[in-house]
Amino acid sequence: MVSSQVIRGCLEQLRAITRIEFCVLDPAGNMVAQTEGVAAPDIHMVTGFAQSAIDSQIVGSSYYLKVTDDEELAFILIAQGNYEYTFMIAKVAVGELENLIVAYKEKFDRNNFFQNLLLDNLLLVDIHNRSKKLHIANSVRRAIMVFEIEAESEPIAAEMLSGLFTVQNGDYLTEVDENSVILIKALEEQEGYDTLEEVAKTAVDMLNMEAMVKVRSAYGTIVDELKDLSRSYKEAKMAMDVGRIFYAGKRVISYNELGIGRLIYQLPPSLCRMFIQEIFGSDELIEFDHEILTTIDTFFENNLNVSETARQLFVHRNTLVYRIEKLQKSTGLDIRTFEDAMTLKIALMVSAYMRELDRR
Amino acid sequence: MASLSLENVCKVYPNGYQAVQNFNMEIADKEFIIFVGPSGCGKSTTLRMIAGLEDISSGTFKIDGKVMNDVEPKDRDIAMVFQNYALYPHMTVYDNMAFGLKLRKVPKDEIDKAVKEAARILDLTHLLDRKPKALSGGQRQRVAMGRAIVRNPKVFLMDEPLSNLDAKLRVQMRTEIAKLHQRLGTTIIYVTHDQTEAMTLGSRIVVMKDGIVQQIDSPQNLYDKPCNLFVAGFMGSPQMNFVDATARVAGGKAYLDVEGQSIELPADKAKAIIDGNYNGKKVTFGIRPENIIEVKGNKEVPYSFESKVNVYELLGAEVFLYFDLGSANITARVEPTTKVRPGDTVKYTFDTKKIHIFDKETEKTIAN
Repeated sequence: MVSSQVIRGCLEQLRAITRIEFCVLDPAGNMVAQTEGVAAPDIHMVTGFAQSAIDSQIVGSSYYLKVTDDEELAFILIAQGNYEYTFMIAKVAVGELENLIVAYKEKFDRNNFFQNLLLDNLLLVDIHNRSKKLHIANSVRRAIMVFEIEAESEPIAAEMLSGLFTVQNGDYLTEVDENSVILIKALEEQEGYDTLEEVAKTAVDMLNMEAMVKVRSAYGTIVDELKDLSRSYKEAKMAMDVGRIFYAGKRVISYNELGIGRLIYQLPPSLCRMFIQEIFGSDELIEFDHEILTTIDTFFENNLNVSETARQLFVHRNTLVYRIEKLQKSTGLDIRTFEDAMTLKIALMVSAYMRELDRR
Repeated sequence: MASLSLENVCKVYPNGYQAVQNFNMEIADKEFIIFVGPSGCGKSTTLRMIAGLEDISSGTFKIDGKVMNDVEPKDRDIAMVFQNYALYPHMTVYDNMAFGLKLRKVPKDEIDKAVKEAARILDLTHLLDRKPKALSGGQRQRVAMGRAIVRNPKVFLMDEPLSNLDAKLRVQMRTEIAKLHQRLGTTIIYVTHDQTEAMTLGSRIVVMKDGIVQQIDSPQNLYDKPCNLFVAGFMGSPQMNFVDATARVAGGKAYLDVEGQSIELPADKAKAIIDGNYNGKKVTFGIRPENIIEVKGNKEVPYSFESKVNVYELLGAEVFLYFDLGSANITARVEPTTKVRPGDTVKYTFDTKKIHIFDKETEKTIAN
């Protein structure tokens, strides 16, 4: 239902233009919203008017009008002003409020529809019928983008996103839990994953700059029909989880680029433990110090090139060789060979995944 | 007004990757500091730690002497301008600048004052009623900056704010940012990978590589006195030429043997070679393109080299010649009056006072 804050905003705007004071009450006579200078109405008059069959009533300089929603009485509007146009403006205000009610109802219905769609709570036939009723096109290229935002600042961030992505462009924002905002992004025919990446980066930068919040974004694959949106949502959620474990430095993660991380994330924990046991001879997760981890990372980034790694690390080649041999003694893996380098890379990723499982 | 202090600031990700190592720096009030370096060097991560958008793994960060490590970004009194910005398409310029303040429930009259002042500073007053689609690229960028200015912060953090603009606009906006710094009189920290931006904007530049600060200095000092081979190569366009050489000491003098020629070093550089026991050792010899001198006619010089010119580039006020010296590719910046063309042999010497010498192993500077 439309909030009292929104109704008040509407009344204030009308008052600023017309100098007429307004108040809106529910059919039981409870005040919903009012402008500052309005005189307190007689509650008995209000309830009596609510129960009567008439649409409007004049009491002194106050005009009582009914605001309906689908022919049901929703509110009583009272306009106070000694102008000849007071009644006319009061009728305009009723029209405004009725439009607001319809718009909010539709928004709520759409929100409800998308939430249930993403959570796989709708039958195929319901998707078809409800989308038709809500004027949501079925065959449009769309993708789901999830924004994980610090809980404390989430409302302001959600409002900023809604300023950026509008229904007019076919985009829709919704939420299914406390810490994230979900964008259902409509794409033009020529737009693809590059566009999604750009949109995500822009939104993240915007939230960083404007809302000053820590935020991460992940997106799923592009789908062609509404019924497949839940898949894109699941992929985006997985990308967020996998990214948190394996790509902590990235703020935008694409499901398509998860690589080996996606595979490891889907392995059962028992298999992971077995793998670690086989590699390191113990199921204790191996802990490397920062120096050796940086060395390993840089060595892998430089395609196992000792000279280039030494240069980038600002160490002598022999120092690097010493570190690699020390690692070989503790793990039995000589990362100068492709096989062992690959094994260690996977083992480190599995360890990171298991640490995350333990943390949970 | 704000001074910033970073003491041994480090960033280590949960997977153990060390993005920034022991960052130490004192930033005075109103300074324009540039973080520069290749991608992945940790410059943006450091900026984001200052902003509070990344946790500091270890070390201390202070603003005006107050420790900020655990202070929320919104409470740090900073504003940010990042690479990717978007304007709210259905709002006017005024509303775009006011929106953030409105959401923070700032009183209307304060918002109005702040927006009009920011518009005045950015020369946007006449555009306040326009929608973003009616603005040029530069004007949009100015609106994005306006959204930061309206907050009246102590510190501005800018992360490659011009990298999405075309080359011409970037030059124009660079000037705008320099003017903005003068008008606002606030501390600015600016991240870029473009060394021209770094040289033209910064009062001091921090050169980073692989998460490690290489050198913090004024633009001129970085150019003239780089502390290592990386800084020497990174600052300057075209970049410094590097040639393998052997240091030799004889009769109290020091020489660099390069491709069969001996270059006698000036006393200060010779002292560094002698004191560092580099006699007979391989070193890297560096010379900037403008310090290569074309030898015309039969002019007598202590030493000279001859190479066949591969490429000739006329830039109007200057000419770049590209040729090889041994296995090294050399770029020389010479007078536009040169008669040399591709395929010709050019005779040249070096301005010996401007030679840089680097340790071949550690890549640290031996002499500048």
